[in-house]
Amino acid sequence: MAFLTLVTVLTSALLLVQSPRASEYQVKAVFLFNFAQFVDWRSPPAQDPRAPLLIGILGDDPFGAILDETVRGERLGERPFEIRRLRQLRDIEACNILFISRSENERVEQILAAVQNRPILTVSDGDDFAKRGGMIQFVNDKNRIRLRINVEAAQAANVTISSKLLRVAEIVRTPPR
Amino acid sequence: MTSPRSLFLILATTVVWALPARAQQRDSVEALKRLSLDQLMNVEVMSVALRPQRLFETPSAIQVITQDDIRRSGATSLPEALRLASNLQVAQVDARQWAISARGFNSTTANKLLVLIDGRTVYTPLFSGVFWDVQDVLLSDVDRIEVISGPGATLWGANAVNGVINVITKDAKETGGLQVTGGGGNELRGLGSARYGGGLGAHAKYRIYGKAFSRDPTLRPNGQDAPDGWHMGQGGFRLDWDASASNRLSLLGDWYDGRIAQANPGHIGVSGGNLTAKWAHPLSAKSDLAVQAYYDRTHRDIPGTFGEDLDIYDVDVQQRAAVHPRHDVVWGVGYRLINDRVVNTDSLAFLPPHVARQWFTAFAQDEIALASDRLHVTLGTKIEHNDYTGFEIQPSGRVNWTFSPSRTLWAAVSRAVRTPSRIDRELFVPATPSYFLAGGPDFRSENELAYELGYRHQQGALVLALASFYNRYHGLRSLEQVNPPNPTPIVIANGQHGESYGAEATASYRITDDWQVRAGYTELRVHIWPNPGSTDRSRGTAESHTPDRQLSLRSSLRLGTQWSLDGGFRYLSEIANQQLPAYAELDARVGWQPVAALEVSLAGRNLLHAHHAEFGTPAARRGIQRGVYGMAQWHF
Repeated sequence: MAFLTLVTVLTSALLLVQSPRASEYQVKAVFLFNFAQFVDWRSPPAQDPRAPLLIGILGDDPFGAILDETVRGERLGERPFEIRRLRQLRDIEACNILFISRSENERVEQILAAVQNRPILTVSDGDDFAKRGGMIQFVNDKNRIRLRINVEAAQAANVTISSKLLRVAEIVRTPPR
Repeated sequence: MTSPRSLFLILATTVVWALPARAQQRDSVEALKRLSLDQLMNVEVMSVALRPQRLFETPSAIQVITQDDIRRSGATSLPEALRLASNLQVAQVDARQWAISARGFNSTTANKLLVLIDGRTVYTPLFSGVFWDVQDVLLSDVDRIEVISGPGATLWGANAVNGVINVITKDAKETGGLQVTGGGGNELRGLGSARYGGGLGAHAKYRIYGKAFSRDPTLRPNGQDAPDGWHMGQGGFRLDWDASASNRLSLLGDWYDGRIAQANPGHIGVSGGNLTAKWAHPLSAKSDLAVQAYYDRTHRDIPGTFGEDLDIYDVDVQQRAAVHPRHDVVWGVGYRLINDRVVNTDSLAFLPPHVARQWFTAFAQDEIALASDRLHVTLGTKIEHNDYTGFEIQPSGRVNWTFSPSRTLWAAVSRAVRTPSRIDRELFVPATPSYFLAGGPDFRSENELAYELGYRHQQGALVLALASFYNRYHGLRSLEQVNPPNPTPIVIANGQHGESYGAEATASYRITDDWQVRAGYTELRVHIWPNPGSTDRSRGTAESHTPDRQLSLRSSLRLGTQWSLDGGFRYLSEIANQQLPAYAELDARVGWQPVAALEVSLAGRNLLHAHHAEFGTPAARRGIQRGVYGMAQWHF
């Protein structure tokens, strides 16, 4: 009878592989959305105040529809949010927030070099992202999402992160090479 | 038998799946968006793991061995890596056998510790313990090893009397590319492994691996090689598929085959394989469901002693739900079937040779947040049914008080049982009457009442933890003389009781970003007495072989970007009831990483003495020799 149970549970499991609801990435999506409110981009002043605030996802998209759903109908001042899945490194230029997927773990340095000094908030949950020169790293700690922020990296790119966000984060530096 | 429990299991999971999905997601996103940053950081994310991360938060004596710790220790096997947890008693018996336990009761057939590899219980129903020679993983694929000393029976069930070891390997997403490792030396004669990780479409990643090693024999008391050299090969895979944002499926499997020399004619042959399927399914931001099923097969042939073929089938379902802002509930059900076939010899027999046994488990636990999240009370119980003793109840109550952001005080009271195994009831020596030793037909569960008190402190780079305990045991296994004062025949019974107490202290200090030092110190006393009327005269010498104290010191230093230097010192006091002297040993490793893709290392194990013994009576003990090996690892 163990087999009956097993078979029932497993077949049911396979039949039900659809409904998109999230956990870890739901929380991360809401963080990404919140970051827009706690970050000041000293971007070119002439920018259209209604231009969309662009969140780019580089690499395999772990969010599915969640991120789109999170920002749907939301605005920052007059700016609506827009999510863009990026295919190439050169597409990052227009982003305000760049989420780098774990799939890009091995070429993070290359990506950050391409971003360098552009006012783009770089975010990832890849290994040692903040220490490797990224701005905000999601860290899974005891089933909760923690933030690790490299303030120097943000400052170098003229991205100011609000003290409200810094207060809840762990501050790290890029180790000297 | 389609028990009510099986039906309940099927029904419960079906009902949970039927809940309306989409509306819930929208609601939960909106709810999350209303949270402050602080609140958002306190939202628990449901992990893919069936059980592990949960335990990290429970107030208990937990130590975590990370991948970096394992790599930099130079460990080449799971037991060697477990030496890094100072709350375990780890003793190498001979080239392949280890005695590993927590809080005493150590022996080669230690039975009060539960060991899991990726959620799969590695366990033999022969003695409720672990054959360490066949528990292997590719160590570079291990994410972490959680080691809990103290009872974990409420969440984990029988055997988790004095501790739980939880080996967790990395998600396949984190092990991409080709990695080749090779090396060898005098004791570890040779070790080679290869692992390749790749993708199947955008959302599924896999890895496959193969490894093989050969180990040198240990020394007999007379200084000659003991006949225990061995070699083994193992291969396996892991597939992780993010089928959608809320459905993660994993499939894991391993297969191994090995040959071990022995004193009797012939070789010990070991082989086996296992297959595990896991499904993690968040139901909302506040609830998730995890289902796991596995099949595990082991074969062991010890010519002249016995042979065994064992099949284990296991299914577990677990749900977590934050049912109320103050209540975080975990509940689950499980079923296990074992089919054990022993080939008896003249020297010993398990009777009947072939048994099928089943276990049903159900547990529930509520973590209640009191006093603005600083005080947590966790109440729970496990109810288990086994074929030997029927129902067993294992409740626990725990309190966790975080009285400042960096200081936590915790306390716990738990009941745990060690249910009978085949050795207790069904072992007969020799195989036919008249028996020298006979299993006890009435052997019941051994039970424990455990009281624990612990403290954790973090001050910047300094982390301190102290766990103390007092345990009472009833119905401990005894060897009753049937016709005293004649020493034999002996029948196994529950004629002993006992107590154990002690403390485990750990400190870690990060002196600079590149230099970390750690210390662990454990004091432990185990006392065992015969019950009134018992004819057992062993005073527990058959049940517990444990040093009173052990000390470990570790230093991990990085020198520039290319070099690393690690050292680990350990001291263990004598094991009095084996007349085994105290010993101190040192392991060291130098690593050189000239480019990101290559690491070369030289490691020394047990450097202080040409050989030393860690376990066993004078005639039986083996000399563990100094070992040196070199290793190279390429990552393409």
